[in-house]
Amino acid sequence: MLWPSPPWDEVVYWALDLETGGLDPRRDPIVAVGMVPLREGTVRLGESYQSLVRADGARAISAASVTAHQLVPGEVREAPPLEEVLGEIDRRLGDGVLLVHQAAIDVRFLRRAHRETGLRWPSPAVVDTVDLIVKAARKARFIDPAAQEHEPDLNLWAARARYGLPAYGAHDALTDAIATAELFLVLRRELGARTLRDLR
Amino acid sequence: MAALDPIAFLRATRPFGDLPAPLFERAAGSLEIAYFPAGARLAASGTVPLAHLYVIRKGAVRIERDGQMLQLLEEGEIFGYTSLITGKATLDVQVEEDLLAYRLPGAVFHELLTDARFASHFASGLAERLKHSLERAQVVTASADLGAAVETLVRRPPVRVGAGATVGEAARVMREHHVTSVLVETAPPGIVTDRDFRNKVLAEGLGPDTPVTRVYSAPLRTVPEKTAVYEAWQILLDTGVHHLPIARGGEILGVLTSSDLLRSAAQGPPAVLRSVERLGSREALPGYGGRVSEMASSLLAGGLDATVIAGFVARLNDALLTRILRWAEAELGPPPAPYAWIAFGSEGRMEQTLLTDQDNALVHGGDASCEPYFAALAERANTDLEAAGFPRCPGGYMAREHHAPLPEWEARFRGWIDDPKPQALLQAAIFFDFRKVHGALDLGPLEAVLARASKARVFLACMAKAALEFRPPPSLLMRLRGEEVDLKLHGISPIVFLARPYALEVGSTARNTLARLDAVVAAGLIGEDVRATLREAYRFLLGLRLREQARMLAEGKPPVNRVSLSALSSIERSRLKDSLRAIRDWQDTAAYHFKTDLF
Repeated sequence: MLWPSPPWDEVVYWALDLETGGLDPRRDPIVAVGMVPLREGTVRLGESYQSLVRADGARAISAASVTAHQLVPGEVREAPPLEEVLGEIDRRLGDGVLLVHQAAIDVRFLRRAHRETGLRWPSPAVVDTVDLIVKAARKARFIDPAAQEHEPDLNLWAARARYGLPAYGAHDALTDAIATAELFLVLRRELGARTLRDLR
Repeated sequence: MAALDPIAFLRATRPFGDLPAPLFERAAGSLEIAYFPAGARLAASGTVPLAHLYVIRKGAVRIERDGQMLQLLEEGEIFGYTSLITGKATLDVQVEEDLLAYRLPGAVFHELLTDARFASHFASGLAERLKHSLERAQVVTASADLGAAVETLVRRPPVRVGAGATVGEAARVMREHHVTSVLVETAPPGIVTDRDFRNKVLAEGLGPDTPVTRVYSAPLRTVPEKTAVYEAWQILLDTGVHHLPIARGGEILGVLTSSDLLRSAAQGPPAVLRSVERLGSREALPGYGGRVSEMASSLLAGGLDATVIAGFVARLNDALLTRILRWAEAELGPPPAPYAWIAFGSEGRMEQTLLTDQDNALVHGGDASCEPYFAALAERANTDLEAAGFPRCPGGYMAREHHAPLPEWEARFRGWIDDPKPQALLQAAIFFDFRKVHGALDLGPLEAVLARASKARVFLACMAKAALEFRPPPSLLMRLRGEEVDLKLHGISPIVFLARPYALEVGSTARNTLARLDAVVAAGLIGEDVRATLREAYRFLLGLRLREQARMLAEGKPPVNRVSLSALSSIERSRLKDSLRAIRDWQDTAAYHFKTDLF
């Protein structure tokens, strides 16, 4: 590689998690977001951000997701509109890397939301903890071929349990963002990654 | 801040849960989450101190000094405060198991220290922390400042009379000034009190013209102005005097009476002593036990060390027993021979904090014909003690069964030393902690038998071996969580039982465990550093037990020795582990010293 990559802990990471009205990034709305930064390799809880997103009525929230997120449509009606929330997200991403669990889904939700509201998606560098789990499993197999017969479990909470991280009670967007940030710290160490490039 | 799991965890961790809302918000708002893999070194002694206060969420950390592990800290435990408070890195901090930690920047920790309750959790003085915990538990209502200097209680300069004064003149001066004592300006000065008028003037039929110097006490027994109030109590209880002249250099500031000291703590030892002195009859005995346990709680709340409290309890119990035996003597007539009432166990060692089962016996200087008298005396005393709140001894070590002439006791003592079978060792362990509480009989011969034990290697080895059967369970040394610890079985007894053979070996006549350790150090058998650790461990365990038992009593439950670890703060848990570890180390040394593997 030609470009030097910064040491991993000199980069600011914004761990992000979305709660959505369904699983289809083309149709379902974003109903909540949680973000927390990692600076100098530590999670800064005091800077965390979380918000619900106002439902625009056109997209109904499915009954299943209401149960999953414990959100009721009324709460969502009072929340700030999507444009405003996206502005808050983008402002934060301006100074760092986006850290998500399963980027394929969340980034697609965010891209579409930007397109619909006429905002420009800032295209931050993305680090995906799911990729890191796969990498770590590959590394383990390389060191000891018998280590893992099966594909690793990619579920956030299953992966955390596998690495000895505690189970958390609530499952809202911010908790999941914190959970992702912690998992990232463990995986970073597991991979022995020294630069941002090693993590992408 | 929202109900996030890390915040909830912090809230549930002592002492954060006690913080007032604004300070807790401050802590929550600056919380960081950090991860360190096993093997990482967070701080090295003599280098950069830690800049954060850490709360362990998951994993474990080893605290070391010169390569020696001092503590293993686990989930819910806190570290970094020593660095933050002293500004120095005095210890090595090494990650033992992958560590997920919540941490606060040092500056925020210092802000939180402005909260007195939070700060007291990190105070180095144990008494301070116990006092704090007790206040929280609301076991006691009153808490006096027992460490205050006696000079703060002095209300007026002393009243004096000349060296040539008569008792009549002295009495008039006392009446004028409404005082119960007066200083006599002799060289050196003396003191005369209202008790002297009663006991030495009136009772002896002396007239008002008697020179005061004929009935006074000189030289004065003074107490320095800076003496702590509780130390003054000890002097009062030990000497039996009721007036304490307070001195600054060569000058007398004033005279404190037992009533002055009584007012300084309504539930203090002087108050209990006074109630003992005023016991008119057996009917007044019930309630004594309750008063003593209230006193002990209140002294603990006042910040007093449990070992000091035990000293008070022993002195009061002794005063009570003397009273009880005097009643019995008055009823049965004078004893046919001199005798000695002896106490064993924790009472013998003066280590009792709450009243426990009776452990006592009677030694007399007569022959078999005296037995009926002493049997009756012992029967009455045992019954009275039970009424006062000392339960019967389930093992039957009570004077009503154990009364015998001195030579018989000597023979028993010798037998146990010469033939240390298990049953003999059990008896020796109990009876060798004997202490004479009351009576005119000299127990020198019994002490002489004990002195022989120092040469009896087999006996000492067997006694040490029996003591080593009380071990802190290995599982408790590392992981203390969600379990119960028996403070007596796993902590206090191992120290007490092992101090005994060591003290016998060096020929010490001390019975008190800390005094025994002192004697053993003086003889060079154990090091100063070992003693310091054991002493701290012993005090901590005794204090913890007293606090927990006082709480059980306050909740109307019978006091037991088992405590649940979840009831302790993280600092107490790590201190407990330290204490158990120190005990195990000492036991390993002792096994080698006594060569217990040969027996």
